[in-house]
Amino acid sequence: MSVIQNLIDGLGVGATYALLAIGVSMLFGVMHLVNFAHGELLTVGAYVMYYLRQREVSWLVVVPAAIAAAVLLSVSIELIAFRRVRQASPFTLLLTSFAVEILSHSIWRIWLGSKQKPFAAPQIAFDTFSIGKLTVEWWDVISIAVAFLAFGATAWVLKNTLFGVSLRAAAEDFDAARLMGVKANRVISGAFAFAGLLAGIAGSLYLLRRGSADPRMGADPLLKAVIAAIIGGLGSLKGAVIGGLALGVVEVFVRSVLPSGIEGLTDAFVFVAIAILFVVRPQGLFTVTTAERV
Amino acid sequence: MGPTPSPEMSTSREVSTPIRGRWFGVDAVSSLIGNLLLLAAIVGVGLLYASVGGSSRDALIVTLLTNMVMVIGFHVFVGNTGVLSFGHLGLASIAAYVMALLSIPLARKSVILTAKTPFGLREVYVDPRVASVIAIVVATAVAALIGLVVARTSGLAATMITLALLFVVLQVANNWKDLTNGTGGLSSIPRLAGTQWPIFGTVMAIGVAVWFRHSRSGRMAVATREDELAASAMGIDVFRPRLTAFVVSGAIVALGGILQTQALGSLGPRQFAFEPTILILAMLVVGGMRTVTGAMVGTVLVTVGKEFTRFLGDGPQFLGFRWPKVDGFPDLFLAAALLAVLLVRSSGLLGEFDAGKLVRGWVPRLPRSSLGGIGGAAPSAGGTAGDSAGVAAGGGRLEVTDLGVTFGGFTAVDGVSFTVAPGTIHGLIGPNGAGKTTVVNLLTGIYQPTQGRVALDGIEVHGASHLRARQGIARTFQNLRVFSALSVYENVAVANLVAATHRGDRAGGPSVDELLALSGLSALAQRPASTLDYGNQRRLEIARAAALRPVFLLLDEPTSGMSETESLAMVSHVRRIAAAVNAGVLVIDHDLGFITNICDRITVLDQGKVIAEGTPAEVQRNQSVIDAYLGTASTTPGSL
Repeated sequence: MSVIQNLIDGLGVGATYALLAIGVSMLFGVMHLVNFAHGELLTVGAYVMYYLRQREVSWLVVVPAAIAAAVLLSVSIELIAFRRVRQASPFTLLLTSFAVEILSHSIWRIWLGSKQKPFAAPQIAFDTFSIGKLTVEWWDVISIAVAFLAFGATAWVLKNTLFGVSLRAAAEDFDAARLMGVKANRVISGAFAFAGLLAGIAGSLYLLRRGSADPRMGADPLLKAVIAAIIGGLGSLKGAVIGGLALGVVEVFVRSVLPSGIEGLTDAFVFVAIAILFVVRPQGLFTVTTAERV
Repeated sequence: MGPTPSPEMSTSREVSTPIRGRWFGVDAVSSLIGNLLLLAAIVGVGLLYASVGGSSRDALIVTLLTNMVMVIGFHVFVGNTGVLSFGHLGLASIAAYVMALLSIPLARKSVILTAKTPFGLREVYVDPRVASVIAIVVATAVAALIGLVVARTSGLAATMITLALLFVVLQVANNWKDLTNGTGGLSSIPRLAGTQWPIFGTVMAIGVAVWFRHSRSGRMAVATREDELAASAMGIDVFRPRLTAFVVSGAIVALGGILQTQALGSLGPRQFAFEPTILILAMLVVGGMRTVTGAMVGTVLVTVGKEFTRFLGDGPQFLGFRWPKVDGFPDLFLAAALLAVLLVRSSGLLGEFDAGKLVRGWVPRLPRSSLGGIGGAAPSAGGTAGDSAGVAAGGGRLEVTDLGVTFGGFTAVDGVSFTVAPGTIHGLIGPNGAGKTTVVNLLTGIYQPTQGRVALDGIEVHGASHLRARQGIARTFQNLRVFSALSVYENVAVANLVAATHRGDRAGGPSVDELLALSGLSALAQRPASTLDYGNQRRLEIARAAALRPVFLLLDEPTSGMSETESLAMVSHVRRIAAAVNAGVLVIDHDLGFITNICDRITVLDQGKVIAEGTPAEVQRNQSVIDAYLGTASTTPGSL
């Protein structure tokens, strides 16, 4: 029974990772950027929630507002920071995103201080129901359901819309895509907007349970998302989903088998396991072909 | 410093005493002098500044210097290999804990540590200096272990493994309370007062970093940074230089961590965690990660900037204006400076600049002959033709038998066989998509064939790219792959270095300078390769391949994008270079004029198969070639 329990818990956590990881993987596919600033979209969502909930605004408004803020910030970051270095090496791009991340941390800190800003989460985030001996949190079920809806929608958009096709073409071979009339700025902005949307959804799932905002809160989930995306194979959206879900499940299982006293080492064990995976399969689980010619 | 070989010992002909690494060269010496002078200036200004202020300014100088040691350590790995590491402060943390646990006085240990402390550490006391040495050894050993893993991967996977290192060390330091006292940390660590130890440490760090950059491993690491694929095609094994860089940089960062901990007298898990890593990386990136000078300047700029913004953030009366009190101002500065540098000048403020360039003119020039690898001698006047006689005779026969490769059901090369006689020039032609470049990639080990064999003089050539290069197969690339940031001279010298170790049986032949002269690049020798025009980059690639002393030169479309006159010049150029190193040539090209002019024999490929072979005249008459190549028989070759 505890196996099923852990599996549900793990998928609930992993759903958030996966939604973030899709964004990370998508941006890597289009412009070879590992976006460490992606976690900041959660932070902006959290502060929006804090601000609006203080004013007793309904959750039905707060959640869309937080998602909109994430989309807006994602597109703005691309305009301000990444557009200038779009042609640079992955190394420079990674460092740039890293700089944006710590810039965001310090701005929030100067503006609103480094203390946690709590907002009361809705009761639904903590309600449970029982099936036999199994206790299931509603929020896990909702998270998994929302995430899978989002995965489905993403797959549909990529397959059936002009934006989706342009995006896939650009990921395959940007130069060729441009020759075929794909507008670079538009497809990259679109990718950032789409990644921001998924991050906004992930953020809402994550934040309603967490119920607080602080300047550095985006760093941890983002790190997990980056790892999930790399596990899956950067550029592969299917890989990102599987990587995210797998990471969530593995985390929960490792925590449950570690003897008490060293459960604080959960992340350490997960990291060691991932490091070993990278040695065996540096390209991740799913190989993405690139257009580089020798 | 090591022994200098006597000038008489090594001339261009004697490879029996190849000088490994040329780390006594004028570049290394001037870099060392330049950077030490820079350090003296920094320390001088710093001490002057400290002498008019309180003791907090002394502490600032010590922090500056110990940070500088760590930044230089990061530079050795990140700057030379181009692989981003987040993990080196994990090594600093390990070293600091080992040093602290060994050198805290016994009386204090019984208070800080519990009775459950492992390894009997509670009963051990070691002199701080000895403890520091032991700590560096331990951290270096860990670096070697992690380096084995990091050097096997590349790019992002390597970066993620270093991040895992930092994370694991942090979590162990936090959670293994019996050993580390957890978040409470360790205190009463014997303090080394004064600035002399940090200065000593910085001098050591500069010395080791300069030595490494000019060592054999360092130069090969830089080549892999510039282009991993081209480096392995030049016989460089990516693994070894990367591992060496990781270990050397780990040792330097460990030294910095120890010095900083000894200046502080206390240690906790967060001291070498994420935020300090960001600080150190920002210093490295702002100044320029590729040179020691960049690392030093970046450290100074960021430190000064942080201090100044800290001052402003405290809400002083400054410039006739009352500044608001702002918490976190230094962090904002750090992030903004990092972002600004990346957006405006991603190679850092100094880019490739090294302080050695300032003093280079003053450093007495050792005779060149004492500096080179194989043949460092200055070009003898007009001696090019005679030089080829110096190469060991016997070109070698290249035999390709039944070579084939399949990519996911698509057979790109299908049972290709041909033989190239020693010392001849052989052409491989065919329409687009015929599999020409794939054949070259198979011969050089970039792809592994699914069938067939390749042999040089009957000995099978197999394995990874760098192993094949060492067996005597050198190549150029269709889309140029020079080591862009390296000088023209260094591009060729790196290949020469590989030849000195792995191609000793073909000793002699033209030196680096002579190859450059043969290629018409002598005047450009000190220019970065990226600044050359297209034709010169092509000739540089050929010179670099020739420096490997290959049995065969594989040229992948050496005239693509060239005019007819340039192509004709390339014909005699390829002949001259091949004769100088006594290598056979396998050349791929679209340009029929070029191919028929240059080749002794030609093999024609179409759709992965050999459809004809013979002399240029025979092939031109072959009807199936005309059909395949021109699509229709009616078009005349002249219209191409």
